[in-house]
Amino acid sequence: MATISIGLFSSLIGSMNSDFAVKLAETAVNKGHSVNLWFSGNAVTLARKGQKSFKDYSYLAERLKALQENGVAIVACEACAAARGIHKDDVIEGIAVHSMDWYVARAAKSDRVLHIGGE
Amino acid sequence: MRLGVFVSDCQKNDSMLERLNGEGLGIFFVENGVYHAVIHENGRDSGVLQKKGVNYYALASDIQTRGFTTSEIDSRVNVVTYEDVVDLMMNDYEKLIWL
Repeated sequence: MATISIGLFSSLIGSMNSDFAVKLAETAVNKGHSVNLWFSGNAVTLARKGQKSFKDYSYLAERLKALQENGVAIVACEACAAARGIHKDDVIEGIAVHSMDWYVARAAKSDRVLHIGGE
Repeated sequence: MRLGVFVSDCQKNDSMLERLNGEGLGIFFVENGVYHAVIHENGRDSGVLQKKGVNYYALASDIQTRGFTTSEIDSRVNVVTYEDVVDLMMNDYEKLIWL
């Protein structure tokens, strides 16, 4: 099987891009691939803990936890998070916070890389 | 090296998309990009569909959530699932970009 790195840039909670990125990651894992998931820009808001689930509203926190349990490395950009007042203890347990180096290194070793841009 | 292009919108007049050509190019319509596969503005199809030697795909779930049926999809476009997208990414397109 292969390794794919998905970078989600500048998408807020409730954005179609976030739903697409998570669904693509889920599908790739189900097919036996190894997945790295990187949040940058506004996408770091997805890593924030304490999100509340409302009916008919995009709520991805549980799905992110499930992806982690399936071996997906999920990492938020340290600078982007700090710039938005999100620090290591504000983040969902299991989601790491690293500098961009982490993503570049993972992308360089991946079979496929998809940067999902923002609206 | 084959390029896969994810098109996630249909309103932006994307000059990059216009200039992208080449045998074996793959264009994936996802999210609001699926409208490229159904619109007929002023009786004309989407300009994106006029390229030669391009494989077109549209994500089935994004088509259905927008109220279209598969029969309304332009015949040049292959309707695919997320599973198909992952397989196409891994097997057919080495480089991927998002527009």
